Amino acid sequence: MQEKVEAQNILSMNSVEVLYDNVMLAIKGVSVQVPTGEMIALLGSNGAGKSTTLKAVSGLLKAERGRISRGEITFQGTDITEVLAQNRVGMGICHVIEGRRVFEHLTPDENLTAAAPRGMSRSALNAEKEKIYDYFPRLAERRNSQAGYLSGGEQQMLAIGRALVTQPKLLMLDEPSLGLAPFLVEEIFGILQKINQEEGVSVLLVEQNALAALEIVSQGYLIENGRVVMHGTAEALKSNSDIQEFYLGGGEETDFHNVKHYSRRKRWLS
Amino acid sequence: MDWVFLSELAINGALTGLLYSLFAIGLVLIYKASSVPNLSQGGLTMVGAYVVLALSHDAGLPLWLAIPLAAVIMFGLGFGIERVALRRLAGRPVVMILMLTLGLDIFLRGTTLAIWGGTSRSVDLGVSYEPLFLGDIFVSRIHLVGAGVALALFVAFMLFFRTRTGIKLRAIADDYMASWSVGISVERGVGLSWALASVVAVAAGVIWGEIQGVDQALSLLLLKGLTVAVLGGLDSILGAVIAGIILGVVENVGADLLDPLVGGGSRELIVAAVLILTVMIRPHGLFGRHDIERV
Repeated sequence: MQEKVEAQNILSMNSVEVLYDNVMLAIKGVSVQVPTGEMIALLGSNGAGKSTTLKAVSGLLKAERGRISRGEITFQGTDITEVLAQNRVGMGICHVIEGRRVFEHLTPDENLTAAAPRGMSRSALNAEKEKIYDYFPRLAERRNSQAGYLSGGEQQMLAIGRALVTQPKLLMLDEPSLGLAPFLVEEIFGILQKINQEEGVSVLLVEQNALAALEIVSQGYLIENGRVVMHGTAEALKSNSDIQEFYLGGGEETDFHNVKHYSRRKRWLS
Repeated sequence: MDWVFLSELAINGALTGLLYSLFAIGLVLIYKASSVPNLSQGGLTMVGAYVVLALSHDAGLPLWLAIPLAAVIMFGLGFGIERVALRRLAGRPVVMILMLTLGLDIFLRGTTLAIWGGTSRSVDLGVSYEPLFLGDIFVSRIHLVGAGVALALFVAFMLFFRTRTGIKLRAIADDYMASWSVGISVERGVGLSWALASVVAVAAGVIWGEIQGVDQALSLLLLKGLTVAVLGGLDSILGAVIAGIILGVVENVGADLLDPLVGGGSRELIVAAVLILTVMIRPHGLFGRHDIERV
């Protein structure tokens, strides 16, 4: 039974705790499962621990002097808790970090080249690039301009494309909608869905824009104060009155004075 | 005004300038791959020259073998410096790394003093000191050789930074975190840039060692090399070459014009003025990258 569950989940986090600088407990026992081939969202407000959760999976915690102090993370059935970040990319985990962070002084084409795994042949890389330009035609037009001068939406597309070059099996995205116009969010999320279906890449999406995220994912986790406080299918979450009130804007009650008062006292877990 | 004399000053200035470029290319390599100005490049250059001397004069190897062998040894040393000293500083503020490279420079100077002493030694490259006349203009052969080496390295590295490995190094200089996120080994990349800069240091060390002798003063080349690198824009190899030529010409011609007025010593003043003015007027140099701010 246990093995069957492992096979179904590409990623499994069990009671993971993360400490920064050996003192600050950023997540306090997070358990998240990503079934192979599905799209999962982590929702929650600022500072809830969503980004830390992704960094624990990608191993980038180390660059910020954080470490996993308890719990374990398995990827395709292998314990990766102690694996170096750069080797996790080789295993098929790629993390599109918050704020896009394209290589600004390189062209989009060079951005894609930079992410090429070791040993990828030139023809394979070119084929990969063409595939990415097919997903993001806007990038193809500007492939030889400087990436730092692309628009925010184009940079986000480039960041996703750059991650795809690493041949991920699990793609993790941290706030891809940040600072983008709604129509761009829709476009990018549409492409993500397409990538998920056509390439079979599993997706773990961190979002504050719960409304947009719940449209494309199958399940969502709500994280508050470093803990998972709610987990359910996208439909269940969309119809949950608390979620509606706090993350989808409005609910039945739109008396904002009362909403604020209520939110201050609200606790999901004590 | 004597035009032959002036063009002789300019041409020899340009050649000397290319030798500064030869040194500055090492600085640029490290900056380009890790955004750290390496204050120990002078020390590395000096060590490069000493290693060549140790292999050729002390161990008796011929120069054509000693120089490539020294390049290999220095390549390893560059990697070693990253592994032992720099790795634990990755992601820390640049000023920490800057101080580390300064400490390294002092360390290298002290080490060579302890091992080989402070007496100036010559390399004996075998380049003739017979005067070479291009028309009426006298040029130094060793400067000509050095300028050729600088240009060859320039072309080699321009090509290198278009390769996949070169692009990855430039990506590291742009953003460590993003590099890690797509599986680029930042540590190996920084190590490689130090290794390459150490190889450049052998070339610069041999040429400069031939010109001014090998001793601890060789590490002071850093001052002129840094001026050239800053003027060119710290991350531009083309900039290092062009800025080297500019500095060499300005220094040589300027000193000739100013020295009679101030009674000598204006050469250093010109270099200092170029450095200070560059930082004040054009901090990213002639060809350096701007930090991009989209409006």
